[in-house]
Amino acid sequence: MENIIKDIQNRFEVSDIVNQRDNITFVTCEKEKTIALITHMKKNLGFKHFVLMTAVDWIEDGLFQLTYILNNPKKKLDVAIRTFISRENATMETAHKLWKQVSTYQRELKEMFGIDFPGSPRVNESFILEGWNDIPPYRRDFQTKEYAEKTYFPRPGRKTNDPSEYMKKNMS
Amino acid sequence: MAIKDILTPFTAWKKVFNEPVTIKDPFNDRPGAERYRGFHKNELQTCIGCGSCEEICENEAIDLVAVKGYETKNGDSGLRPMVDYGRCCWCALCVDVCTTGSLTLSNEYTWVAENPDEFRFVPGAENKAWDKNELGWKKPVPNYEFYGQKRVKMEELSPEERDHSFIEIIKGYSKEQAQLEADRCVECGICIATCPANMGIPEYIKAIREDDMEHGLKILYETNPLPEICGRICTHKCETVCSVGHRGEPLSIRWLKRYIADQVESAEYKRILGTDGIENNGKTVAIIGSGPAGLSAAHYLSLMGYKVTIYEQYAKAGGMMRYGIPEYRLPYDQIDKDINYILSLGVNIKYNTKIGKDISLAELRDKYDAVFAGTGLHLGRSTRIPGTDHEHVYQAIDLLNKITEGKEIHVAEKIVVIGGGNVAMDITRSLARLQNQKYGKVQIIATALESEENLPADVEEVIEAREEKAIINPGWGPQYIEIENGKIKGLHVNKCLSIFDEEGRFNPKFDENNKNFFEADMIVESIGQGMDIAYITEDIKSELEFGPRGRIVVDENFQSGAKWLFVGGDIIQGPDVIHGIANGHKAAYGIDNFLKNK
Repeated sequence: MENIIKDIQNRFEVSDIVNQRDNITFVTCEKEKTIALITHMKKNLGFKHFVLMTAVDWIEDGLFQLTYILNNPKKKLDVAIRTFISRENATMETAHKLWKQVSTYQRELKEMFGIDFPGSPRVNESFILEGWNDIPPYRRDFQTKEYAEKTYFPRPGRKTNDPSEYMKKNMS
Repeated sequence: MAIKDILTPFTAWKKVFNEPVTIKDPFNDRPGAERYRGFHKNELQTCIGCGSCEEICENEAIDLVAVKGYETKNGDSGLRPMVDYGRCCWCALCVDVCTTGSLTLSNEYTWVAENPDEFRFVPGAENKAWDKNELGWKKPVPNYEFYGQKRVKMEELSPEERDHSFIEIIKGYSKEQAQLEADRCVECGICIATCPANMGIPEYIKAIREDDMEHGLKILYETNPLPEICGRICTHKCETVCSVGHRGEPLSIRWLKRYIADQVESAEYKRILGTDGIENNGKTVAIIGSGPAGLSAAHYLSLMGYKVTIYEQYAKAGGMMRYGIPEYRLPYDQIDKDINYILSLGVNIKYNTKIGKDISLAELRDKYDAVFAGTGLHLGRSTRIPGTDHEHVYQAIDLLNKITEGKEIHVAEKIVVIGGGNVAMDITRSLARLQNQKYGKVQIIATALESEENLPADVEEVIEAREEKAIINPGWGPQYIEIENGKIKGLHVNKCLSIFDEEGRFNPKFDENNKNFFEADMIVESIGQGMDIAYITEDIKSELEFGPRGRIVVDENFQSGAKWLFVGGDIIQGPDVIHGIANGHKAAYGIDNFLKNK
């Protein structure tokens, strides 16, 4: 693992290296170098298996974090690559040419976070939210409760009590 | 087609005798994973119905409902969560936020019922098949908490810094500390009903988080016109029921209240509270005593437009808050801050005026539309053991009074205090300071009938007294004071076995074979105070009703049998400041109702 990290540190200037466990390390890479890094890891370092990709909304910093997890099946090692992209008009280079299934992840990220991956097959088609007409629901500015209130009707007969009012009434 | 392609399907035959990987009975043979998030379980005995689960649920899947067998009481709303599984998304935030840890998820995820309403139920109350499932999602421990478990430490003077003087011990929170502490509140409101004044605690704590001191002050004054005082010396019953206290330390509610009041300048109060130019309604109320009950009544009556006059027997206002509580716990300038604001509403105080001596109660009755009496408990009680008539046997309350007035008091080299309540701690710690000043050392013992764990004083008072080198030696019953050649030698005590008899009456039993002697040349009694209602003359008394131990009977608005006379504070309920404030507030509304309907 040490050699692998050294190699990608030299070539791609990855930073914030966190050894999560003996066999999984997280690194952070600049947006522009990320796909080249992943390509290098697949072609030259034996990380042939794509585990997953996901996103985190750092709304306070105006950033989305994308995380790609890659696996080296021979050495049984995982490396997770983090990259940060602007939240405004969020766009990232597609990685589907490296692994076909990446397009499915990218389609989901487009739907849930609104991150675009131009050129990724079917990226604009609904993934699971058919007929969705609000902002992408995994964005932290999406108001889940407000949406639930306006979209779903309450089951008839539901009643609740405010604990402090109920206690004041029963204990006075 | 290669021969391989023809033969390949037959290779499956080699597994024909292997254990099948399919499940014959998926409903019974396939339990959820160890930490699967299935149907809720709730230990109803542990749950306090704080509603944090309902509050955090983004899907509004939880209602709080009354459940048979669970009554509303201090610290428990008696309500329990009911889950609507038509809305639950099994995220388990309700479990993660649960203040008592009673709510968990089982790993059961299959259940069939024909009636959709059956998917709305109170977990734990309906004997579901999964109620006893061990597996499922539980809040991970430790280090997985939504709110801090530890209090933000309050800075205070060290024993060495404080034991020679009467400077205030508690330093108060900084903004950063207060906001950190406020951040621990889950806003459940379980504390509100336990506070005698029903203060809007979660809302003023929220104001601290949002750094909106003006809103905070408004919330304080809705129910409590003495926030600087209560923020220092309230008995903080609210903290004993705080839901966060179930898994960690309860919120420092008292210190947070003080923080708000400390942040606002006196000059800003009237603008913030909108009390400039209150219209007078032409009616007058007399209040006897300027303690917490009287001041609270005066404040709320003034807001309603009444012209209020307080009659105070001493030279300064505040009652026990000024003349009982030592300055190191409650500095006089803070008392003045609260009181001066109330006076600025147009309340008039006649100092050095004792009812029954300088003016009679009947005169007040004739001169004013209504009268409120909050005269408190000012008479020290004596143990009446042999020797208590000696000139160097004192009542704690008289000494505390003199210390406040700045009068010199007798301070002996060796002192014994009889009593284990907060007043006993107040006089012990005050005398310890004076001994330090006079002799450079402390030789004071406080003893009480109660055992260590049953001492009526606040725990922190006892701890701090000991830090200041006073000896607290509880569990002894005073027998007699030994006097030789007119000088006190000390106090003889016997071990106290029990204080109350089987009928619950005060009837202490002592162990004659376990005696002790506390050397002293001065004794202070602090075993409680009585009321002095000599100002209520016989003709007025005949209109009143008296309950056990001579207590005046009042209705829920603190109105006595003599309709024009309202009574509250320590002589009715307590004894503490916050009950007095609550009584005065209710009495103000009672007086308003009475005068409107007159």
